[in-house]
Amino acid sequence: MPELGNLALALALILAVYSIVANIYGTRRNAPDFVVSARHAIWSMCAMVTIAVVVLWLALLRSDFSLEYVASYSSSTLPTAYKITALWAGQQGSLLLWTWLLAIFTSVAAFQNRRRNPDTAPYALAVLAGVAIFFLLMLNFVTRPFDLLPVIPAEGSDLNPLLQNYWMAIHPPSLYIGYVSASVPFAFGAAALITGKLDDGWIRSTRRWAIFSWFFLTLGNLFGARWAYEVLGWGGYWAWDPVENAAFMPWLVMTAYLHSVMIQERKDMLKVWNLSLIGLAFGLTLFGTFITRSGVISSVHSFTQSGLGPYFLSFLITVTLSYTALLIFRSKQLRSPAEFESYLSREAAFLFNNLILVGITFAVFWGTIFPVLSEAVRGVKITVGPPFFNRVNAPLALGLVFLTGIGPLIAWRRTTADNLVRSFAAPVAIGVTTGIVAAAAGLRQWYVLTAFSLGAFVIGTVLVEFRRGMNARRHMMNEPRAKALVNLVAKNNRRYGGYVIHVGVIVAFIGIVGSSFFRTEVKKSVHAGDSFTIGSYTLRFLGFSEVDTPHLASATARVEVLGPDGREITVMTPAKLFYIRAQQPATLVAIRSTPLNDLYVVLAGVDDSGQTATFEVFLTPLVFWLWAGGLLMVLGTVIVMWPNVRERAAIATVLSRSSSADRELADLAARGGD
Amino acid sequence: MQTQRGFCIRICSSLPESRRLLAHPAPATIMTRPGNQKMNIRPRFFIGAGLIILAIGYLIGNAMRTTSEYYLTVTEVAARQSELGAQALRVAGRVKPGTVNWDPNTLTLKFEIVPIPDLDAAGAPIRPVVATEPVSFRVVAAGEPKPDMFAPGRDVIVEGKLGAGGVITATQVLTSCASKYKPKQSQ
Repeated sequence: MPELGNLALALALILAVYSIVANIYGTRRNAPDFVVSARHAIWSMCAMVTIAVVVLWLALLRSDFSLEYVASYSSSTLPTAYKITALWAGQQGSLLLWTWLLAIFTSVAAFQNRRRNPDTAPYALAVLAGVAIFFLLMLNFVTRPFDLLPVIPAEGSDLNPLLQNYWMAIHPPSLYIGYVSASVPFAFGAAALITGKLDDGWIRSTRRWAIFSWFFLTLGNLFGARWAYEVLGWGGYWAWDPVENAAFMPWLVMTAYLHSVMIQERKDMLKVWNLSLIGLAFGLTLFGTFITRSGVISSVHSFTQSGLGPYFLSFLITVTLSYTALLIFRSKQLRSPAEFESYLSREAAFLFNNLILVGITFAVFWGTIFPVLSEAVRGVKITVGPPFFNRVNAPLALGLVFLTGIGPLIAWRRTTADNLVRSFAAPVAIGVTTGIVAAAAGLRQWYVLTAFSLGAFVIGTVLVEFRRGMNARRHMMNEPRAKALVNLVAKNNRRYGGYVIHVGVIVAFIGIVGSSFFRTEVKKSVHAGDSFTIGSYTLRFLGFSEVDTPHLASATARVEVLGPDGREITVMTPAKLFYIRAQQPATLVAIRSTPLNDLYVVLAGVDDSGQTATFEVFLTPLVFWLWAGGLLMVLGTVIVMWPNVRERAAIATVLSRSSSADRELADLAARGGD
Repeated sequence: MQTQRGFCIRICSSLPESRRLLAHPAPATIMTRPGNQKMNIRPRFFIGAGLIILAIGYLIGNAMRTTSEYYLTVTEVAARQSELGAQALRVAGRVKPGTVNWDPNTLTLKFEIVPIPDLDAAGAPIRPVVATEPVSFRVVAAGEPKPDMFAPGRDVIVEGKLGAGGVITATQVLTSCASKYKPKQSQ
């Protein structure tokens, strides 16, 4: 079986190389047969990588410890679900998953473009195949998933206990889907630069890919935060760890990109900026893989050091240099005739939002690589921790929230004073009122007051927009309220889905502010029967129950929670686990979540007599809203992605700009392929 | 904000009535404006963008000054002991077996850290050519639960300050959690 995996990976590499040659030759020499053949090669490459993935999955499920990978990341007692997720627990498997996703997305892009974009698609597919070649080279020669052990061990080392968790099962794939799908818009951007077809065709053809990528990056970050919250047991969800930053930076740049492309679609401006952003987003996905896999920056998540670092760095530098060279080569054609006219215009709001997002990205990047820089320059490693990131990003986040309110309501080009008053009077009133109410309720931190007011302001702007649109429909179409609202969203899903995402971001932001500023913490060692308090809650430790299985042993504490009136609310069961194979303790946190606050109980220690327990308890206000905001972002993205007839027509119009000769070629190619 | 708003209202009200009504114009076709105004606006945009970039630069610089910590190995701490004073440190080292003392009642963890040995290509520790004085520092971490992964012989990062007598008062002890585990061989 392992030989089959190796063979499949070798064939995939050959097919990827062939597809590039055939695509470029076919386009240059006007030989559509070759373009069709390249497409088939891409699909075959995808099939080969799929075979490799299936082989590794089967080996994991059958606990075939002759494979080094299986022996390192699995064991015979590991639950089946985690045997499946062990595919991405280690380096070789992660890269294999990456390559598989890339092969799938490239195949889908090849299918979508079998008639569309006849002159750019072959180049875009060649770029994607080029990226696949890099990963396939790694899998074939540097970090091989199907290497055998000289001596077959009787038992595997088991999966890291921290990864034996359902969030860990879905967090890495989400993030990888987000990472890898960003390469499709990148490839079409690169193809636009190569071919000189620099209109917004590449943006429109890949808009869904960009949203898809953003969606999964959002999910990946949220799942990761949720995993940290539930598993790591320190009461927080984000530590500005290099690995977290690596996932956060592409999200920031994709967010900027999704906004700035609207300016190009609408006003034919910012071409260089958009091409740069998508290049940056792609580069950051590679950088993210590089820093998690190279061990260059020590991190709490710190993965095994490996020989991958230099290869990744070389690839990253090659991609960056060639892309930059292309941008410079085309710079004359990328000049835009249009210009900004006024600060009070939507394009200005979008531009400033872009600057802030890229600024945050830069700050995060700087803080992440500073230890390496300082060591190289001054010979001493200087690190910056979470305080650095919080201090820089907190004010920038406020600026971003403010622009989130302004951007959607302000007019393109320029806005009149009347228009400003009409659009913003009600939201400003809502924001100011919220601030006053919060201050009256006893909040004094200026940051919290500003954040709450701005948040309310943004939600106010969205409500005004919905109301305005709904009323317009009611009057023009004579529809009842509910129907007008539904139709409004259905007919303009991109716009109103975007608003829902904005509300989600604001709600999550409020959750982050509340949980960062008002968290309280109590640490206590207590005997069975004793109680202690946190906030308005009283916690009483009732005793332990213990369970032993061959896979893990656990001690579960029962903690009775009493409300302010002395009535029992619930019994919580934080636990201490001990994984037998890994000889590793782990903590199972108990969380009671309400919209107002989360009670988070960690069993920090058990003394040997089994009578005393040490608890660490956090009371975190509003953290519920971080996850609720995440759900709203998901809902909004689903609305945005919903198929829309009008949009399809718009894409068709853009793409029909290509000359009739192109179309003939496309028809030929399509006929040959079907 | 005040100046920006003032600026725009002035521009807008100086336009003829007919142009002011074009709140949602069709794009692209009516882009041209009187030349002298166009000349004014581009530089002003660069001023706005420049101000944002400067503000971000200032935030980064300011935060760097107040939050940076030295990240040192145990050997480096020994070499620079005299100059570290009250500087915030992160020290990477290995927990010396046989020195761990954990009191769950006061949540106090005491141990000694020693340098992490360099490994050669085969993964065996490299012995220094010149025999050097073995370096170690005592660490006292109070008020934090013992991390799950903490164990004698593990690599840790200690965050804190170096006090008198070579004792590191730690605010946090981080254990690095490699994604690959080798089960401990019974000794």
